[in-house]
Amino acid sequence: MWNFLNRFLKRKPRREYLYDEFSPQKSSLVIWVQRLILLIVLITIAIFVLSLNTMANAGEHTSGSYNVNINEISHGSLLLKNGESQQYQPLPLLNTDVSMFISGMIVRSHVKQQFINNSEQQIEAVYVFPLPESAAVDHMKMFIGERIIEGRIEERVAAKRTYEKAKKQGKKAALIEQERPNLFTNTVANIGPGESVTIEIQYLQLINFNQGSFSLRFPTAITPRYIPGKSNTESMNIYENGWALATDKVIDASRITPPVYKHPGRTNSISLNIELDAGFPLKKIFSRYHSITHSTNHNGNTQIQLSNKKTPADRDFELVWIPETGYAPKAAVFTETLNNEHYQLLMMLPPDSNMNNDQALAREVTYIIDTSGSMHGTSIEQAKNSLLMALDRLRLHDRFNIIQFNSTTDTLFYQSKIASFENILLAKQYVNDLQANGGTEMAPALRLALQNTETESYLHQIIFLTDGSVGNESELFDIISKHLGNSRLFTVGIGSAPNSYFMRKAALSGRGTFTYISDINEVSEKMTSLFNKLENPLMTNLSVNFDNIASAEILPQRIPDLYNSEPVILALKSKTPVNSIQLQGSRALSPWSASLNISQAKNSKGIASFWARKKIESLMDNIHGNVNKQKARKQITDIALKHHLVSKYTSLVAVDITPSSDMFTPLKKHKLAVNLPHGQNNHTQSREVFQRLPQTATNAELHFFFGCCLLILGLLSQLIHQASFRSKLKKWHLL
Amino acid sequence: MQKYFKNSFALILFFTGCCMLAQGSYIHAKAWLAQHLLEKTWAEIQQGDSRSKPWPWADTWPVARLVVPRLDINLLVLAGDSGRTLAFGPGFSFASVLPGTIGNSIISAHRDTHFSFLKDLQNNDEITIETINNKKTFKVRNTRIAHRDRASFTEQETTAAIHLVTCYPFDSIITGGTDRYIVSAIAE
Repeated sequence: MWNFLNRFLKRKPRREYLYDEFSPQKSSLVIWVQRLILLIVLITIAIFVLSLNTMANAGEHTSGSYNVNINEISHGSLLLKNGESQQYQPLPLLNTDVSMFISGMIVRSHVKQQFINNSEQQIEAVYVFPLPESAAVDHMKMFIGERIIEGRIEERVAAKRTYEKAKKQGKKAALIEQERPNLFTNTVANIGPGESVTIEIQYLQLINFNQGSFSLRFPTAITPRYIPGKSNTESMNIYENGWALATDKVIDASRITPPVYKHPGRTNSISLNIELDAGFPLKKIFSRYHSITHSTNHNGNTQIQLSNKKTPADRDFELVWIPETGYAPKAAVFTETLNNEHYQLLMMLPPDSNMNNDQALAREVTYIIDTSGSMHGTSIEQAKNSLLMALDRLRLHDRFNIIQFNSTTDTLFYQSKIASFENILLAKQYVNDLQANGGTEMAPALRLALQNTETESYLHQIIFLTDGSVGNESELFDIISKHLGNSRLFTVGIGSAPNSYFMRKAALSGRGTFTYISDINEVSEKMTSLFNKLENPLMTNLSVNFDNIASAEILPQRIPDLYNSEPVILALKSKTPVNSIQLQGSRALSPWSASLNISQAKNSKGIASFWARKKIESLMDNIHGNVNKQKARKQITDIALKHHLVSKYTSLVAVDITPSSDMFTPLKKHKLAVNLPHGQNNHTQSREVFQRLPQTATNAELHFFFGCCLLILGLLSQLIHQASFRSKLKKWHLL
Repeated sequence: MQKYFKNSFALILFFTGCCMLAQGSYIHAKAWLAQHLLEKTWAEIQQGDSRSKPWPWADTWPVARLVVPRLDINLLVLAGDSGRTLAFGPGFSFASVLPGTIGNSIISAHRDTHFSFLKDLQNNDEITIETINNKKTFKVRNTRIAHRDRASFTEQETTAAIHLVTCYPFDSIITGGTDRYIVSAIAE
C-alpha cells in the first residue's frame, strides 16, 4: 500500500513547478477551484444515481397492486366473495346501527349490520369488524324480511361445518367467528341479488372507571398491528407465541385509535344510539372524538346520539361521563344467579389517600437494562431514552440502581443509592455509555435485582427493559416467583418484535404490568403513563375474603396493586350466595380493610357472561405456559358453550330453515365455494397472519460505491496536481 | 516522508476510500467467516451439546441448515432476526415457528450477502431444511414483493411453510427500503 502510494507520489517532481507559467500562488488557487468543481460534479452524479434508484423503488411501489386481505383492512369493512375475480372485492356496507344500553357498570350493545346485495349474482359476504377487547359476544340474530333466526353457539369447527352445509343447500346462513379477542368475522351466505340481510350481534362490556370518570369505547377502526405467528408445541417450546393472545391485553388507546392508512371509497358510516342509566346525577357527559347530542328520555335516562347521522367509521368512539360532585360511587356490586350458581361483579374504589407527593411512599427502584446484541440498533436507543426519562422522574428520597446485562452483569452502584443530583448525573453518564453487544444472560441480573431489597419501608420496584429474546423462560419465571417478596416487577418491551409472551408472563409473576414500546416516538407517552402509575401506588397486597370462599372462584386470581384512583374489579362465582365481602390491603404501609354488605346487590343480567369472559381470558393467558393445551382448550370450549360466548374455539351460527327462492344449482354453488382462494395466496386456509419483517440490507454496497467514488476522486485530484498532466490538459485546451 | 504528502487532499480521499472499501468487505468477510464458525457449532449441537456457541459472546445459535441443491447454496439458519444476527447468517423470526415445523417460519437475510441467491430461485425449486432431528424438503410455490409492515402469511394448520425474506430491490445501494422480496416454499 505504502509502496504503491510512494511510487505514485514520486511521479510528481515538485520542481516542475519552476517551469510553470503561472506563479505557484495562482496555480494552487486554480487547482483548488477545479477540484471543487470536480467534486461538485461527482457529488451531483452520485446524488443523481441515488435518486434514480429511489425513483425506481417508488415506481415499483405504486405499480405493484396490493391485494385486499383481512389484515389490510383498517376499518370494519365488507368483502364480497366472488368466484370470477379470484379475490375478495370490497363492497360498501350500507348500514351499521349500534344501540347500547348502559346500566351501572355494564353495557349491552346491539350491533346491527345490514348487508345489501346490489349485484347481479348471489353472494357470500365476509365482514371483518372490531369490538372492544373485553367484549363478551353472546348473541346473534339474523333478520330476513320479517323472520328472525337466533344464532346458536357451537364449537368452531362444528359451527363452520353447519354453515358450509347450509351454504351448499342454498340456505341463508351467518357465522360469527373470533379472529382475535377484539376482531371478529361475520360471514353471510347466499344473499340473493337485490336482497338484504341484517345481522345483529350482541355483546356485553364492562365500563371503564378511572380517575373519577366513566368511559366507554366503541372501536370502529382496526389499526394494523403486529401479530406473531402461530407456534407449535412440538418445536422448541420456548418461543411459543399464540397470535390471538398477543392482542388480548392491549389497553393503550394509541394502538387502537385512528388507522394508519385508508382505502378511499370504502368508508362505512355508522349510527349510534346510547341509553345511559348511570345511577347517579351527571356533572358532565362528552365524547372525545365525535360531536354528540344528548337528552333525557321518559325513563329518566340519558339518551345520546351522534350529531352527524352519517359519521364515517374511521375512528373510535369514546363516551365519557363524570358524576356530580358528591355522587361519585365508592363501590358497586351486581349479581346474577344462573343454574344455582351465584355470580357477582364487584367494583370498589379505595378512599383517596389525599397524600401529597412528600408523603408518598419512598421507592427503591432497580432498573434492569438488556444490553445484549439483539438490542443493537434502535432498540437500545429506545431503552436508553426510556431509562433517561425514568431517572428524571426520581424524587430525592427515592433510592435507585441500574443493572445492565449481556453475557455478564454489571451494576451502576454496589448498592442502591439515593437519587441525589450527583448520583443521577452519574447514572445518566452510565446510561449514555451503554452499548448493545454480547449474549443474553438474564438470570443473574434478575437474581441480583430481586436480592437487593434489604431496605424496609421502601416500595421495591424493578423496571426491566428488554426485548426478551431468551431461551430459558421457565427458569426465569421460577426465579421471579421464588424471590419476588415485596418487590414488583414491571416489564417494558422494546423493539418491533419483542417476546411479549415472556414479558407479560414475567410481569404477571412479578405482580406488575407490561408496557410495550414499539417505536421510538412512543417512548415518552408510554413511559409517562407507566411512571404516573409507579409513583402513586395506592394499595398493595390486596386480598379478598368471604364465607365459603373455598367453594368460590375469583377472577383475577391474583389481585393487582392499585394505582392512581383505580378501582378493584372482581368477578366471582360461588355455590352459595355471598352476603358480605371483606377486602384487605395495605396503603403506605398501614393496613386498610373494608367490608361490603352485598345482600342488597342489584340483580343484573349478564354478570355470569362477564365472569365467563374473564375466565376464558385467564385460561387463554395460561395456555402459553401450560403444556397441557388440550385441557385448557376443552375448558374454554366448555365454559364458552355453557355461557353462550364466542371465543377462539367457539362460534355463533344461524341457519335459515328454507332455502333461498332464487337458488342456483347446487353444483355451481359448490364450485363457487371451492374457487375462492383467499387474498393473494393459493392455499385453501383462510386465516392470514401479519408479520413485520426485519431490515435486510447491509450498507456494504453503499460503502463500496462511495469507496470507489472517493478513490476515483483521489486519483483525479492527484493527476491534476501533477504538472505534466496539467500541461497535457492545457495542450488539449481543457484548462 | 513529508514530501510525499504534499497533495494531502488526494491522500485523504484515498484513505477514506480505502476505509470504505474495507468496511464494505468487512461485512462480506464477517458474513462468510461466521458461516464457517457456525459449521463447527452446528456439528456440536447435533452431537447433543445444546449450549455450544459459535463464539464466546454470541447471542444466537444455529437452528437449521438450509440447502438449495440447484444453486449450490448451503447456509446455517440462526435463531432471531435482529440486525446483529443477520450479519452472521440468515435468521428465523422468533415470532414465527422453527423452520421445518408446522406453521409459518420466516427466515430473513441480507440481500447482498446470504440471500443474494433469492432472485435466482424459481417456482418448484427444492429447498431442504435440516434441523436437529429431522429433514424436510420444500418446494418454492410463490414469490412476491410486499411492504415490510404489510406482509401477511396464510396461517398453516397442517403443513410446514418457510418464507425467505430479503430486501428489494436487489441491486439498490440504499439501505432502509420498505419493500421485501418473499419466497414462500411449502413442505412436500
